[in-house]
Amino acid sequence: MTRDTHDEARELITLGDALSDAQQIWLRHHLEECVSCRDYAEGAAQMVRALRSLSVVADARLVRTTQMRVRFHAARLRETRERMWLVGMACLGVGLTATLTLPLLWRLFAWMGEQAGVSTLVWQAGFLFFFIAPALVVSVVLVARGNHVNSHGQGSRQC
Amino acid sequence: MNAAAYFLMIDMESEARAIARGLRRRDPQLLDRLIEQYQHRLLRYLLYLAGNRELAEDLFQETWLRVLERGHQYDGGHEFVTWLYAIARNLTIDYLRKKRPISLDGLMEDEEHAPAEPADTQPLAWEIVAQHEQAERISAALVGIPADYRETVVLRFQEGLALDEIATVTGAPVGTVKSRLYRGLNMLMSRLKGAQA
Repeated sequence: MTRDTHDEARELITLGDALSDAQQIWLRHHLEECVSCRDYAEGAAQMVRALRSLSVVADARLVRTTQMRVRFHAARLRETRERMWLVGMACLGVGLTATLTLPLLWRLFAWMGEQAGVSTLVWQAGFLFFFIAPALVVSVVLVARGNHVNSHGQGSRQC
Repeated sequence: MNAAAYFLMIDMESEARAIARGLRRRDPQLLDRLIEQYQHRLLRYLLYLAGNRELAEDLFQETWLRVLERGHQYDGGHEFVTWLYAIARNLTIDYLRKKRPISLDGLMEDEEHAPAEPADTQPLAWEIVAQHEQAERISAALVGIPADYRETVVLRFQEGLALDEIATVTGAPVGTVKSRLYRGLNMLMSRLKGAQA
């Protein structure tokens, strides 16, 4: 019997119940003949029993804290998702309204330009400004708010 | 396959699908139940993976937060516990990589990482003290073997995962899992023999 045969048998022993029928038959046959592998099998079985007897217990505090954190995080994710949904719907609404009102506004500006007797370039520039004004206002407000938050945060850290 | 095994398999599949549906909805009740159901198993795995109780508890919480965030990725095609361990494992590796660029094996040389603690016992009777000492010896031996081997041994013999499930969790081929199991168990046995001598 070669050393490889014993190694193979011992490898199979460590695999436990993950053996095919043929492997089980071969191993059983080998263990009947080989004392050292039989000893190894007993040692391994004892080791596995000892490993299974080890208990690690998560305490109730850890479980409660985890459940609380998970619930809190779930609520935050839900809020973010709802907010994103609202932002998405608002963008859709704005896009649709802009698409529908654009030709009307264009005609209105053309008519006003004609009534005021200004050149085409002027009323078109006016129309462009009117069209992007809301976005400009929102950008300015957000930038101002960001500066305010930053300076306020730095101030409170310095205190 | 006999009838009982068949129905058990069907039951496990429907359970996995129910979990997948619940995770997609981020169902808080389901998550509470899962945390309770897998609390000991997950902590034990993390404890032997990280080698430190405090770190294992932090990772335990982070794992469940990750389960909440990525729950939609679980398709219910395999057992939930395999997916859970894979998440826990990736988080542990990420954490250890960020902390210091060493392999998991470096943990055991660190003095602050004490051997994993067995469950608290009341040292009133001699048998309990002896059991406690034996558990401490085994825990110390387990923490003393390289992390790859330790992980495989824990997943197989403590968590009862099949070889292919361990391969899924660790991302290693089944052949490697088998060899780690064999070598890991040998190291453990020789360490315990050395400790007893």
